Amino acid sequence: MKLEEKLKSVRRSPWVFHLNSGSCNACDIEILDALTPYFDAERFGVKLVVSPRHADVVLFTGPVTREVLPKVIRALRAVPRPRVVAAIGSCAVGGGIWWDTYSTIGGFPKLQEILKRYGVEIDRVVYIPGCPARPEAIVYGLLVALGYVKQKVSKVVKTVES
Amino acid sequence: MQVNRIAAPLKLLTIAFKTGRVTKKYPFGPPLITEAFRGAISIDPAKCWGCGACVLVCPPNALDIIFEKEKIVIEYFKGRCIFCGMCADTCPANAITVTKEFELAATNLEDLKEDVVHRVSKCAVCGKPFAPAAELRDVMKMHPITEEYANICPDCRRKRTARAFGMRFGASI
Ligand code: SF4
Ligand code: SF4
Ligand code: SF4
Repeated sequence: MKLEEKLKSVRRSPWVFHLNSGSCNACDIEILDALTPYFDAERFGVKLVVSPRHADVVLFTGPVTREVLPKVIRALRAVPRPRVVAAIGSCAVGGGIWWDTYSTIGGFPKLQEILKRYGVEIDRVVYIPGCPARPEAIVYGLLVALGYVKQKVSKVVKTVES
Repeated sequence: MQVNRIAAPLKLLTIAFKTGRVTKKYPFGPPLITEAFRGAISIDPAKCWGCGACVLVCPPNALDIIFEKEKIVIEYFKGRCIFCGMCADTCPANAITVTKEFELAATNLEDLKEDVVHRVSKCAVCGKPFAPAAELRDVMKMHPITEEYANICPDCRRKRTARAFGMRFGASI
């Protein structure tokens, strides 16, 4: 519950830092789209900042290439607690179409394992699928991350009767 | 200079008034979704055979097939899906529909998974599980074969055919 209390202070105006870990740029364009007056994430106080040290939420895109991995770890370590990460796009969520290439580590879940080894804790992750994720999906994901709306999806198991 | 300082914002204001309000009301209003938009897929368990054709074509391997002892599970991981719709084109049973669902944000990876669990039929001769029951059911509907023929696994069927040939040519098997 302590995390919830901390998140409440963030909720008023989350400052976001955009961290690209080797994405194809489509997701990054959609992030910009979400911040422009057309979809206007600034209605919820979302503001883009240029340093991870100022950020409440990290907008994370890309499948984490090997080249960028050390820089990503450094950037995430610089984010103050509570660290909230929004993994945007199927690349960041599960590796996307690069899920088994030699040059990427396969998305945020894999990165989180590495971060744990380096002692960098992430307090909350919200996964936003899509290739690219729609601007609305990004706005919705941010609202889920900050606890404005309840998440819609849950695990489904369908059994075939025959 | 002085004129410019007043004129520039005035010009901006005229443009702003002419354009009006462009901001979409989402999430308080409807999203900007067109006819052509593709969202997450949905597998109809009443139609799916468990054949695995969709698993073969899926570019990012968002669909996976898992063989367990008496079950075949088609696993769909929305998180990795690129919403290409190739699985819906490929599915021989037309079990996959592409929905317009995009509000998929989740705080847990497990919430993004969808399983379709198939029961596997056992061979009537050797008792080994060999094919999803739903697939056999629909194959029998589509082709003039009996249950007696369909319920036997390929290995046993091969043996049976070999034995029949052998008997015809006088071998003692
Ligand atoms: S999820 Fe798709 S659109 Fe986004 S960075 Fe990856 S490949 Fe590009
Ligand atoms: S829509 Fe494309 S990526 Fe998604 S499950 Fe179907 S084939 Fe795979
Ligand atoms: S019937 Fe369609 S949905 Fe089911 S496994 Fe085969 S291709 Fe996939």
